[in-house]
Amino acid sequence: MMAAVGAPEVISQLESAAKVLMAPPSMVSTEQRQHAEHIFLSFRKSKSPFGVCKHILETSKVDYVLFQAATAIMEAVVREWVLLEKNSIESLRTFLLTYVLQRPNLQKYVREQMLLAVAVIVKRGSLDKSINCKSIFHEVGQLISSGNPIVQTLACSILTALLSEFSSSNKTSNIGLSMEFHGSCKRVFQEDDLRQIFVLTMEVLQEFSRRENLNAQMSCVFQRYLALANQVLSWNFLPPNLGRHYIAMFEATQNVMLKPTETWREALLDHRVMDLFFTVHRKIREDSDMAQDSLQCLAQLASMHGPIFPDESAQVTYLAHLVEGLLTMINGIEIEDSEAVGISNIISNLITTFPRSILTALPSELFSSFINCLTILTCSFGRSAALEEVLDKDDMVYMEAYDKLLESWLTLVQEDEHFPRGCFIQPAVQVFNSYIQCHLAAPDGTRNLTANGVASHEEEEINELQEDDRELFSDQLASIGMLGRIAAEHCIPLLTSLLEDRVTRLHGQLQRHQQHLMASSDPESVDRKVLDDLYEDIHWLILVSGYLLADDPQGETPLIPTEVMEYSIKHSTEVDINTTLQILGSPGEKATSIPGCNRTDSVIRLLSAVLRTSEVESRATRASLTQLLSPQMGKDIVWFLRRWAKTYLLVDEKLYGQISMPLSTAFGADTEGAQWIVGYLLEKVINNLSVWSSEPELANDTVELLVTLVEKRERANIVVQCENWWSLAKQFASRSPPLHLLSSPIQRTLMKALVLGGFAHMDSDTKQQYWAEVLHPLQQRFLNLINQENFAQICQEEAVKQEIVATLEALCGIAEATQIDNVGSLFSFLMDFLSSCIGLMEVYQNSPETVNLIIEVFVEVAHKQICYLGETKSMKLYEVCLTLLQVYSKNNLGRKRLDVAAEEDQYQDLLLIMELLTNLLSKEFIDFSDTDEVFRGQEQSSGAGRTVSAADVVLFGVNIVLPLMSQDLLKFPSLCNQYYKLITFICEIFPEKIPQLPEELFKSLMFSLELGMTSMSSEISQLCLEALSPLAEQCAKTQEKDTPLFIATRHFLKLVFDMLVLQKHNTEMTVAAGEALYTLVCLHQAEYSELVETLLSSQRDAVIYQRLADAFNTLTASSTPPTMDRKQKVAFLKSLEEFVANVGGLLCVK
Amino acid sequence: MADPDLDFTSGDAGASVTYPQQCSALRKNGFVVLKGRPCKIVEMSTSKTGKHGHAKVHLVGIDIFTNKKYEDICPSTHNMDVPNIKRNDFQLVDINEGFLSLMMDNGDVREDLRVPDGDLGKEIESKHGAGEDMMITVLSAMGEEAAVGIKAFTK
Repeated sequence: MMAAVGAPEVISQLESAAKVLMAPPSMVSTEQRQHAEHIFLSFRKSKSPFGVCKHILETSKVDYVLFQAATAIMEAVVREWVLLEKNSIESLRTFLLTYVLQRPNLQKYVREQMLLAVAVIVKRGSLDKSINCKSIFHEVGQLISSGNPIVQTLACSILTALLSEFSSSNKTSNIGLSMEFHGSCKRVFQEDDLRQIFVLTMEVLQEFSRRENLNAQMSCVFQRYLALANQVLSWNFLPPNLGRHYIAMFEATQNVMLKPTETWREALLDHRVMDLFFTVHRKIREDSDMAQDSLQCLAQLASMHGPIFPDESAQVTYLAHLVEGLLTMINGIEIEDSEAVGISNIISNLITTFPRSILTALPSELFSSFINCLTILTCSFGRSAALEEVLDKDDMVYMEAYDKLLESWLTLVQEDEHFPRGCFIQPAVQVFNSYIQCHLAAPDGTRNLTANGVASHEEEEINELQEDDRELFSDQLASIGMLGRIAAEHCIPLLTSLLEDRVTRLHGQLQRHQQHLMASSDPESVDRKVLDDLYEDIHWLILVSGYLLADDPQGETPLIPTEVMEYSIKHSTEVDINTTLQILGSPGEKATSIPGCNRTDSVIRLLSAVLRTSEVESRATRASLTQLLSPQMGKDIVWFLRRWAKTYLLVDEKLYGQISMPLSTAFGADTEGAQWIVGYLLEKVINNLSVWSSEPELANDTVELLVTLVEKRERANIVVQCENWWSLAKQFASRSPPLHLLSSPIQRTLMKALVLGGFAHMDSDTKQQYWAEVLHPLQQRFLNLINQENFAQICQEEAVKQEIVATLEALCGIAEATQIDNVGSLFSFLMDFLSSCIGLMEVYQNSPETVNLIIEVFVEVAHKQICYLGETKSMKLYEVCLTLLQVYSKNNLGRKRLDVAAEEDQYQDLLLIMELLTNLLSKEFIDFSDTDEVFRGQEQSSGAGRTVSAADVVLFGVNIVLPLMSQDLLKFPSLCNQYYKLITFICEIFPEKIPQLPEELFKSLMFSLELGMTSMSSEISQLCLEALSPLAEQCAKTQEKDTPLFIATRHFLKLVFDMLVLQKHNTEMTVAAGEALYTLVCLHQAEYSELVETLLSSQRDAVIYQRLADAFNTLTASSTPPTMDRKQKVAFLKSLEEFVANVGGLLCVK
Repeated sequence: MADPDLDFTSGDAGASVTYPQQCSALRKNGFVVLKGRPCKIVEMSTSKTGKHGHAKVHLVGIDIFTNKKYEDICPSTHNMDVPNIKRNDFQLVDINEGFLSLMMDNGDVREDLRVPDGDLGKEIESKHGAGEDMMITVLSAMGEEAAVGIKAFTK
């Protein structure tokens, strides 16, 4: 034998290469390492290496070389399969298996690799009917029954390797066969062999669970088989008709719900299977590793659904048995830490998987025991989660389990109409109470108490990146809020009384501190412990109240939750409206001191409790006790008020079938209550902005509350009637303290709110006066400043610069306030500034921060306004943007950026310019402009004769941007996204301009497209594909051949063809790629035929050849000859979908 | 002028080299005095001690002349000094023994600025050696000055 002759030399060569690879990095050079790697690579590629490999396996003592030999066998078998004699393959497999069996002391990684080779041979063989690989199960069965733990472990390894190979997941080896092959292997396997593996596994588990004492070695084997069972139950079953699933099957391998096919009925619907897992778990639950597997098996069983159930009653029986087993298991034990997550997974899976109708069909006693058990478990996990927090554990298992259970509750109660009326009220009360208890300080609660009742109180450093509790725990809070609504009768009054009590105590505590301070005047002497406990209590009470009373309104109009509305209506007859209003209107007084306070509406009373908290805070600031207050509580208050105001303030009766009298009397339109509360909120905002300028988050929440008050016209109408609104406006316009201490983003939002308020309903004199107060001072100050004779000399002075920066910030705020009905006046106002801003570009060209801010003004104006602008106005904006770009370009000519390796910030200006260009282009997509409506009577004049178009501006901009966008810069995600968004827009909107680009620019544009298509994220790839159709259409239009664009599109045809036909691509991309392909095919029909021919001629299998040829024919059948016609294109896309489903799996290779 | 805030007529003379600003109103990429040095703020973050504590601001600044890094933490209600920063472009006339000869707006030539260290300095020297005309950007703050950039020469 040729190969055997050189064997000793090969071995010594490989062994010394292995020595190099295994050596510590300091001992060998990179070249040596690469050389060694190369030796192994070429060894694995050598032709028919079987003889050498066998020789190596039998003689070499170096593990790594053994490993490589196994790999070489595996790769060569697959490579040379068709050329090999069938019986030599079989003997190879036997050799490998025997080799492993005879050497129990092999290194684990070598053994696994050998078994992998066996599994690959079995899988590859399953395609060839001529070779019988089934015998392997028989062999494995024998190994298992040997009773020898080492042999049994080996058997388990074989099965595990087979399972990974046939699962066709990302664990599967790359053997160069089509996805379709992988798919059909998997389907055959799951119907037969997989079940056989499952049965073998169950037998082993059964055997072990019967034994009394397991020694360490045995329990190790036990564990392996348990893990194997888990792997089988987590099998991602392929549905009968594969369709396009072949791609998906390579992806999802985690969190697979068990959906076996019908053939599994006997194996899985047998109660003994489930019982066995409960028994196994009981036996091994103290071993935390094994317990995880056994619980995961049960969780998989709890997720079972699909055709395996012949009918509903089978499903009910199955679920009943599962629930019974679960209850017996939980009730009989004290849960270990390591079991919490697993148990909650079982419950969560069964609640998500089984339809409500099946849950309600359970025997009612069993159902209520289950709910009862779930309630107790939830409360207990909640308490343990709180303990974990106190101990600051890294691994928060109870928190995870608690989250899961709360989520399950939410699923249950959201569809509570299916269940017996009121069946969730008592559980809700219990879970709610325990949540509150865990979050309150002693004596009412247990917060910060360790298991033995000792309070722990640590002050840790919290940085700005840490999320606020209201976001961090939003899922928990949403569930608790929902449960609170279910049990509103209990929960709303509970929250009210707890909060009222804390507020009274806080008030008293602050008063004591004030007296103390007056005596000693040393703020450090105050003990904050009591205060902090009160703040933390109030913090949680307000968060829960906020989540209970209102939903997070994102976009849509938030409604008062039905349960809350019904609760208020139900009690409205017992309620005294006047007392309710009195409670609401006197936040400075103790609620319980008001006569008749127990006959008030509870929903309003809860709001009043928050207002009382707010009032105590405001009074403390007036008494100069701000240092003692909690900014966190301040945030909670304005967060709550904002959430509340969006839902309840000026409640619109039309939106509800039934409305509560107390709520509509207190907060309805045209009520004194609504007016009063708007005034109160405004005062709160003004107070906060002056007191809390140093707390950015609190100031931000506050100014957002202000925006909420004015962004809806109805609310704004009341706001502008308030005197202090006007004084706020004047104060801000005069840029006097304390408002100018606010950070710039806050000032910007404040400006936005002030402008929004200006569009409320006012008589024309008032309105004129308002703008004179708000906007004119801004303009006046600005003009006075820049028109000063010596502006050029003083412009660099810090005070001047600050004034300029403040003006620019304000302009951004004004642009942000744009709405369809105010764009007319805001645009005119802003335009006056824009040209002056360009002058400032020159003046401040050395101050990048200022330049960026100037560009940002343009970005904001274009972003917010262009979609509303008519032709003349748009042209004006284009003109001024073009001038801006020209100045920018001139100033940047030859500019050297100081630090090339610097971070994204350095390229802020580039990003902004691209944003500006994209915004200008967006008008082509989103255009609400209606000349008559928005600019009545202003449009007719002029307009003609102007020639600046969006294309001019954008292409000029591209001339600036393209040369600056290096490949390095594309590594910054923000720059990369913005860049591709921009160039795609350009190709789509101005394809006719692309061929006119200067050669260099054109080339780099095409290169960018190719790069984006092939080596960026799928979103960017999709963008680039979208850019191709318009380019191809452009070529077709001009009918010029051999233009650079024509040649470039030919190249793209090949790229898109390969991508669609040969590569594994994201299914979402099929449409974009298909459209691109079609237009490219229309343009280059001959080249397309050539591509198809080349592909077909490379097929050796006649059957596959025919299938492919047919598929390609059908693909273009409906559109022959292909023309750029919408109808044909749609037909093509449809055929393409079938094409991909039909033969995509053939060509896509793993 | 009626509004006293808007009096910007006074010239350079007597202008303070720094002015105070509330810590929370500083911004990233802005300037601040740290340990007595004028710095550009490269990092700015807030934190608090305990959930109910008040905000503190952490500042990291790079000395605009020496590129040394400085850090500071202070309550966000505190006032910090902010340096008055100026930038001017001057035409490069010549380079003598490591010093730049720069033409001022009034035609005078100043020769008191060193060629900066590092790549920028090398680039100035090589371009000047090749006979290219260029403008040098000079940064000044708190009585110190340095060349920080070059621009193509524009008339």
